[in-house]
Amino acid sequence: MLRYALTRALSLGLSLVVASVVIFAVIEVIPGDPAAYMLGMNATPEAVAALRGQLGLEGSVVSRYLGWAGGMLSGDFGVSYTYKVPVADLVAQRLWVSLPLALYALALSTLIAFPVGLIAAARRGGATDYGIMGATQLGIAVPNFWFAMLLVMVFAVNLRWFSAGGFPGWEDGLLAGLKALTLPAIALALPQASILARVMRSALIETLGQDYIRTARAKGLSRRQAVLRHALRNALIPVLTIIGLQFSFLLAGAIIIENVFFLPGLGRLVFQAITQRDLIVVESLVMLLVFAVIVVTFLVDLAYAAVDPRLRRRT
Amino acid sequence: MIRLEDLSVTIHGAPILSEVSLDIAPGKVTGLVGESGSGKSITALAMMGLLPHGSTASGHAWLEEGDVLAKTEREMCTLRGNRVGMIFQEPMTALNPLKTIGDQVAETLVIHGRATKREALEIARARLARVGLPEDRFPLGRYPHELSGGQRQRVCIAMAVALNPELLIADEPTTALDVTTQAQILDLLKRLVAEEGMSLLLITHDLAVVSGLADHVAVMQAGRIVEQGPTEALFRSMAHPYTRKLFAASSHQPARVAQAEDVPLLTVENAVRDYATARLGIFGQPGRFRAVNGVSFTLRRGESLGLVGESGCGKSTLTRAILGLDALQGGAIRLDGQEIHAGPHLDATIRRRMQVVFQDPYGSFNPRWRVERLVAEPFHLSPEHLPDRRDRVARALEDVGLEPEAMHRFIHEFSGGQRQRIAIARALITNPDLIVLDEAVSALDVRVRAQILDLLARLQEEHGLAYLFISHDLSVVRSVTDRVMVMKGGEIVEEGPTEAVFAAPAHDYTKALIAATPRIPADWQGEQNA
Repeated sequence: MLRYALTRALSLGLSLVVASVVIFAVIEVIPGDPAAYMLGMNATPEAVAALRGQLGLEGSVVSRYLGWAGGMLSGDFGVSYTYKVPVADLVAQRLWVSLPLALYALALSTLIAFPVGLIAAARRGGATDYGIMGATQLGIAVPNFWFAMLLVMVFAVNLRWFSAGGFPGWEDGLLAGLKALTLPAIALALPQASILARVMRSALIETLGQDYIRTARAKGLSRRQAVLRHALRNALIPVLTIIGLQFSFLLAGAIIIENVFFLPGLGRLVFQAITQRDLIVVESLVMLLVFAVIVVTFLVDLAYAAVDPRLRRRT
Repeated sequence: MIRLEDLSVTIHGAPILSEVSLDIAPGKVTGLVGESGSGKSITALAMMGLLPHGSTASGHAWLEEGDVLAKTEREMCTLRGNRVGMIFQEPMTALNPLKTIGDQVAETLVIHGRATKREALEIARARLARVGLPEDRFPLGRYPHELSGGQRQRVCIAMAVALNPELLIADEPTTALDVTTQAQILDLLKRLVAEEGMSLLLITHDLAVVSGLADHVAVMQAGRIVEQGPTEALFRSMAHPYTRKLFAASSHQPARVAQAEDVPLLTVENAVRDYATARLGIFGQPGRFRAVNGVSFTLRRGESLGLVGESGCGKSTLTRAILGLDALQGGAIRLDGQEIHAGPHLDATIRRRMQVVFQDPYGSFNPRWRVERLVAEPFHLSPEHLPDRRDRVARALEDVGLEPEAMHRFIHEFSGGQRQRIAIARALITNPDLIVLDEAVSALDVRVRAQILDLLARLQEEHGLAYLFISHDLSVVRSVTDRVMVMKGGEIVEEGPTEAVFAAPAHDYTKALIAATPRIPADWQGEQNA
């Protein structure tokens, strides 16, 4: 198990290095002057030169890359050109919104998808199954911002249970923060849950056709026991894969939802940085997201091994 | 006494079993024999209350606890695994891959409330030792993938007999196993029945297995029991024509004449085939496993050469190398003097002259193509465009005993035997010199197998074909080959004229293989032949 973890960690560490080289190359090395691009059409040559100095664009490619990568390793992501504050601070602030939101949405999506997928698989071909399949089809087809607006209409405008947007910060207490994130999390979770429930259903149905389920039934397990004790864990591998992909998406992919609910998250930060041509922020954020995806992949790999003994090599 | 009384089953209205009546005596082995689709497995599933969806059953299945068919699902859950245990054909997939063998055996006890988890593991330990998996070599923490097929079947048996059931149903328990493993598992079952006083219902298609193990035999055909009685008496009399047909087919000897010319067709010289195994450590070199170790032989034109050995002995690896699917790490393989180089540069004429028929008639065809396209597929190996393609397909189909009209249909419209005929037609269509038959009749019922063997013998004579006949079934190899090679651990350990090898095996391994092959006692067979 330890060797498996080390091997995976090593290969993911390598991916991280490769990703950093690619990102650096795309933004800084390819033709075109980032400083001129950031300042726009009407910039004076002096302003461009000053920004080049500030961006650290002087010097060889290798030394610039090492400076950039080394800075990131020590927590120095540079200073945002538009916000005039260290990128690390900006990201840290936003991460406190985006990370809880992503986790919240993922938890909701999993909590909805597991029982729904399980019931659909257990009642395969019945009315319940058809109902669930129809509902999840709808959940995938309808865009999440539309869900978001619907939720705002019902729970914020009409019932006044939640506020329609904004984020008070965690200083007002855990509950207030969670409450502000609830509607966005639901809006994000519904489509994800629909996908996950369908994956869960098909994985379970496939597992239920396996010989060892028949063996379990021959041992005297009821259908329900056979599903819970034998099928569920075997169906988890594809489900874990999807959960990993969904988390990565939720972390950065919530741009539209963050805009609908006016949340100061990473998605909005990326969006703003791109429109304002703040390459320093874009570069650091993309790297951070790559890092997040790689960490999640690593965790999913570990989860595979925890579930399936065939993946743990004997040492 | 366990008693089936007029058991009838329909699935979605179609009759599957008709008035099956059978007594299963305590402490005895009852054999249920028949071909696939005869209703053997459905009989077993009816007794377990595990019939597939859409089934309706009538009649009675009496156990000590009463009529199984009258019981609710909840009552059946308390019976299954407790009073009736069952093991199945495919031990490789019969165990949950994510749970340890100890947990899986203990589960039977825990589910039925017979023991706490801790006690159950203790009992599991004892039961696993009882079926030949002692704790010192097979700790309870082993996972199924760490065991061989035979060992997994032992785990299944331990699970099924953990609570000393009244009845154990074994549905083709050894069909997927090697002959020596089969002998061990049958021996184990026999011992359990004798020592624990339970009844065993042994379901099999193999008359020889039944003759060696069962006290009482029932022969099943199309959902009915056509004949039953004490084993020896039944074999001696064979009152029902179907029983006689089954018996004749199982020991069928195709009429064939040796026609090998003294011209080498396929020569294998010192073939070596290595596999990379898992790396030792992150930066370690991958290990090497030598699957074929210096194998040499010559197959002559028109000859029928057998290759026997157990799973893992290197038969399939060698076959893949001969077919040019994998490259060798040493030595050479030549077809008619031309060396076979695996990979994209394999000469199309070599492919054309050497065709193959695989074991599984269900998995080896593209289900979306019509038979015409399936059979004609090897034509892309011929350089010239063939305007008479359709005629050739028709001729090949006729050659294998099918109507030419079959070319317009899809593969799912054919039975297993017909599919194997189509596979042979596909191999014949390029007029090859050599056909590799890789377990080509192993998945077929005995009567279909006999027909296919006859067909192969006739085609060999008509087309002057050479066969490389690979099988784990010694009796089949004996009946259709001129020479035989015995393979073990990647090496050919014995080689010679088939009859000579079978009559006087020289190598210990060959002797063990022959001894393990189930056989119907010779003196039982006299009367119906006379």
